[in-house]
Amino acid sequence: MKVTLNWLKQYVDFDWTPEELTERLTMVGLEVEGVEQVGGGFEGIVVAQVITRDRHPDADKLSVCRVNDGQGERQIVCGAQNFKAGDKVPLILPGASLPAKPGEKPFTIKVGKIRGVESLGMMCAPSELGLEADSDGLMLLREDARVGQPFAEYLGSAEKDFVYDLEVTPNRPDLNSVIGIAREVAAVAGTELKLPKTTLPESTGGVITDHVSVEIRDGDLCPRYTARVVKGVQVGPSPDWLRNALEKVGIRSISNVVDVTNFVMLESGQPLHAFDYHLISKDGAGKPSIIVRPAAAGEKFTTLDEKEHTLSEENLLIADSEKGIALAGVMGGLNTEINDETVDVLIESAYFDPTNIRRTSKTLNLRTDSSYRFERGGDVGICDWAGRRAAQLILETAGGELVDGVIDACPNPIEKKQITLRHHKANALLGIELDRADTDAQLARLEFVEISKNDDSTTFEMPSYRVDMKGEIDLIEEIVRMHGIDKIPSTAPRGAHGTNEFDPVHDQIAEARQLLVGMGLDEAQGQTLIATESAARLVDAEALVRLSYPLSSDMDVLRPSLLPGLLDSLRHNLSRSNHDVALFETGRVFNREGTDVKEERRIAIALTGERTSGFWQGDERGAKYDVHDLKGMLEEFFEDYGIRGVFYRRRDENPALFVESAVIALGGKLEIGSIGQLHPALARKMDLRDPVYLAEFNLDVLIRRRNTGKSFKALPAFPGSRRDVAMLVDESVSHDDVDKAVRKAKAENLETIELFDVFRGKGIPDGKKSVAYAFTFRSGERTLTEKEVNGAHEKIVKQLTEAFGATMR
Amino acid sequence: MSLLDEIEPLKAEALAELEAAPDLPSLEQAKGAWIGPKGRFTGLMKQLGGLSKEERPLAGKAVNAAKVELESLLNSKRDALELASAMPSRATDFTLPGRRRRVGRLHPLTQVTEDIVKSFRKIGFVVADGPEVEDDYHCFDALNTPADHPARDMQDTFFLDSKDRLILRTHTSSVQIRVMEKQPPPVRIIVPGRVYRRDTADATHNPTFQQVEGLYVDKNVTVSDLKGTVEFVFRELMGKDTKIRFRPHYFSYTEPSFEIDFSSPLVKKMGKDWLEIAGCGMVHPKVFENVGYDPEEWTGWAFGFGIERIAMIRYAINDIRLFYENDVRFLRQF
Repeated sequence: MKVTLNWLKQYVDFDWTPEELTERLTMVGLEVEGVEQVGGGFEGIVVAQVITRDRHPDADKLSVCRVNDGQGERQIVCGAQNFKAGDKVPLILPGASLPAKPGEKPFTIKVGKIRGVESLGMMCAPSELGLEADSDGLMLLREDARVGQPFAEYLGSAEKDFVYDLEVTPNRPDLNSVIGIAREVAAVAGTELKLPKTTLPESTGGVITDHVSVEIRDGDLCPRYTARVVKGVQVGPSPDWLRNALEKVGIRSISNVVDVTNFVMLESGQPLHAFDYHLISKDGAGKPSIIVRPAAAGEKFTTLDEKEHTLSEENLLIADSEKGIALAGVMGGLNTEINDETVDVLIESAYFDPTNIRRTSKTLNLRTDSSYRFERGGDVGICDWAGRRAAQLILETAGGELVDGVIDACPNPIEKKQITLRHHKANALLGIELDRADTDAQLARLEFVEISKNDDSTTFEMPSYRVDMKGEIDLIEEIVRMHGIDKIPSTAPRGAHGTNEFDPVHDQIAEARQLLVGMGLDEAQGQTLIATESAARLVDAEALVRLSYPLSSDMDVLRPSLLPGLLDSLRHNLSRSNHDVALFETGRVFNREGTDVKEERRIAIALTGERTSGFWQGDERGAKYDVHDLKGMLEEFFEDYGIRGVFYRRRDENPALFVESAVIALGGKLEIGSIGQLHPALARKMDLRDPVYLAEFNLDVLIRRRNTGKSFKALPAFPGSRRDVAMLVDESVSHDDVDKAVRKAKAENLETIELFDVFRGKGIPDGKKSVAYAFTFRSGERTLTEKEVNGAHEKIVKQLTEAFGATMR
Repeated sequence: MSLLDEIEPLKAEALAELEAAPDLPSLEQAKGAWIGPKGRFTGLMKQLGGLSKEERPLAGKAVNAAKVELESLLNSKRDALELASAMPSRATDFTLPGRRRRVGRLHPLTQVTEDIVKSFRKIGFVVADGPEVEDDYHCFDALNTPADHPARDMQDTFFLDSKDRLILRTHTSSVQIRVMEKQPPPVRIIVPGRVYRRDTADATHNPTFQQVEGLYVDKNVTVSDLKGTVEFVFRELMGKDTKIRFRPHYFSYTEPSFEIDFSSPLVKKMGKDWLEIAGCGMVHPKVFENVGYDPEEWTGWAFGFGIERIAMIRYAINDIRLFYENDVRFLRQF
């Protein structure tokens, strides 16, 4: 909502500066989003006429002129070439200053001699006046410019004014009007609200009942409808005051009659509509009858923006006996629009049901200043006042004769709301002791009418425009606004401690993050909304959770996995030459399970590029991440996080994302995630040049299953003995196979099994590999003898030989 | 030459040889050559048995003294050589870049969220959580924002392609309802989490963003309490010299409602007096009724703010999209 300082001052007295007004409005809940100064300025600059122009005696490019400034003649030396005697130009008088450019000081004109000739002022170019960025020569004014007229007046913006752009919250439709804002100002300033008088002249055009009738067929959707008629108007341009008032707040002037309806809407908040009286069909009684009715299903109607709409029974129409003439509360019809030939005008000022207007406006995608106000809640009490005011202003600006009286159809009068305030309740909620008399007086200033009072409560009747006032809590809010939130003291935090089952989970998620960061991974946060294409590489299309109306096709499903987002982040980094990237993310993913959407927390990791960025010597230099780095991170993470019994089972068939992958499972059965390498074909498509390793797993399960209990185990008191074995086995034998075989041997006192070498190549036949393990044997009771250790070791060797046909080396 | 006379020259020769050993291996070799089992000095000692009764004590004493001397030299020489070999072979350049084990960084939004959580926990709040896929009821209706309420215009909602009109929550306030439905008052929670609005991504918008919601319900909770807590938390977060201003505003689920502006030297540097940072208010009695709390018995307040906004102000970040691009050069600055 835009309002100007001068317009506001017509309805309320206050002596605040423009800045103070900003502060006051803001602190009462009307946030000022911007203030712009318009008009004013150009002091000491007048319209002048050049009488003579002669060459400067000592300079070819200068001329010496005699000009008339309205008071008399004066001599001016000028360097411009684009003018002649008789031209009218802006003249700045000595002592006045040119408008300052941003960051510069204003330039003050003095009487001075230019090449020996005295100059008493300066004729100005548009750029010197700040009207254009660049200009060549003097600003030449229109013929009708009056000599001596202040230049600002010539520009039509003599009066200095400030335009306030206010953020009106949706609960306060009454503030979408200048009077509504003035009312707030009056309440805060403690002054009187001055409503314009709507005295109408003597009527000479007959009585209203001979001119129109109104029939409301749905009193719920239209509780009140008023109609007035003004005859014999002359449609034409608006007078300056009206045009200026509208244009300052950004509304285009159309014609006097239409401008009046807009002006009254801005002034009072009441949307009006003016019909060409003669374009409304007459009924049998020979006069137009206005029928307010729901549209017929499929009824066609063309609004005055020349768009045809197909209506439904939900839409409320203003109709005559033959046709629709306006879409109630939204927009008028093309068929009865005010035009140049309009002579008689019917003014509609009505109240419509907010919900219905909102639905119509939404379904027809038609938003207007009128629908905006009605859907937030109009003022049923102001219909007649606004109609009178419009009639008065039409007579004033477009002439004509008034038809006496008004049709005021009000089938369902809306009762004024009464609300009781318990003062102790207000005090308890605000945390302060308010003086009861002060509070009542503050509320009275908002035009809340005191109905009754007793020991601790006062009952008020709400004015019809305060549609937001529904209960006691609303009154308490008004008290805060009037009292000032800045006057309510702050009290230190106190009271109950909270409990919630999620609280410890929050910490467990944070703990997981800390472990991952400790492994050198940076934390990423990806978009929740991703493209179907990338989501479908991991999850069946049926499991995806789709948006109904996505913003774009690359954000049309909820992520079913964190991996697509991490891949996007890798691509982003690689495209900016960040080649070595190790990221993790913890967040939610969404999958459809039947009709439900299942939300699950996961952790995902993505690695590519060099493992340690640039040390300057040694084997590690330039080494790239491989799958074992990722596997190692998972092992370390699971162990530190208190998860045991994690298995990795290689997949025979991979999801499209992976070239190779394994299932991560708990206890061998519960699948919690995947680890693998990104398919090189996809990697190439995303310009990822180094291999990319990915892992993702369910965090919710880990949080449920983790065992963080810790207990001390005595340090070994006796030495352990180590035995190594190196053997040739088939490529197909996995580490897990070896591990199982060793355990199956049930060697006594075996403490640990450690793989310390895998070798292929020289001396090793194709299809075979050499693996070397170290076994540690230890007893908790004594030092083991050589014989015992060797015996146990032999058992293992025998088992391995039998299980794999392993050759010991 | 008697045995006794042989001792001195032999000792001198041995001492000289031990002394001359340039490194540990040669020292050990010299030791073997002289006092090892087959060493020359050891050989001398073996001859003692062949001496007469008169000569033996004298010679024995002399040989022992010499041996002690040799061993002492051996030990001190060994110490010296061991130390020498453990010394750095050349001067270390301590300005060389070290072999680093990089520790990763937490995302700046995570860091800010954790700081917020920490300050709230100091004053008795716990963290709560709820689903991101929501229904109309929890996101709007229960929060006193019925279907045709104009306030719904303030937030453009993502709808899921589903029969039951599921939506992505537009604010974390939906969790207020879920928590109050489940647990009786008093309640003292904060809810960090992702929320969604149909905004095309630009420097200040991303369809996904993050909020923190705070809710406190108890007996005799007042506007003064709300102010005190908000001031406490923002001073914790943004520094002691932070100024806080409350302005009346409108939210459908609180009444009275306020917007919170803050001011600090940082804000002044941006050329502004106040920056809007959060919304808050006293929980609307309708909301309490919807979850079965008696508004006559319980009062409370709620407030919420955007985590990105706090992070952007705190770190002077000018584009919200940076948070979701995960450029490592960005992530590693925090």
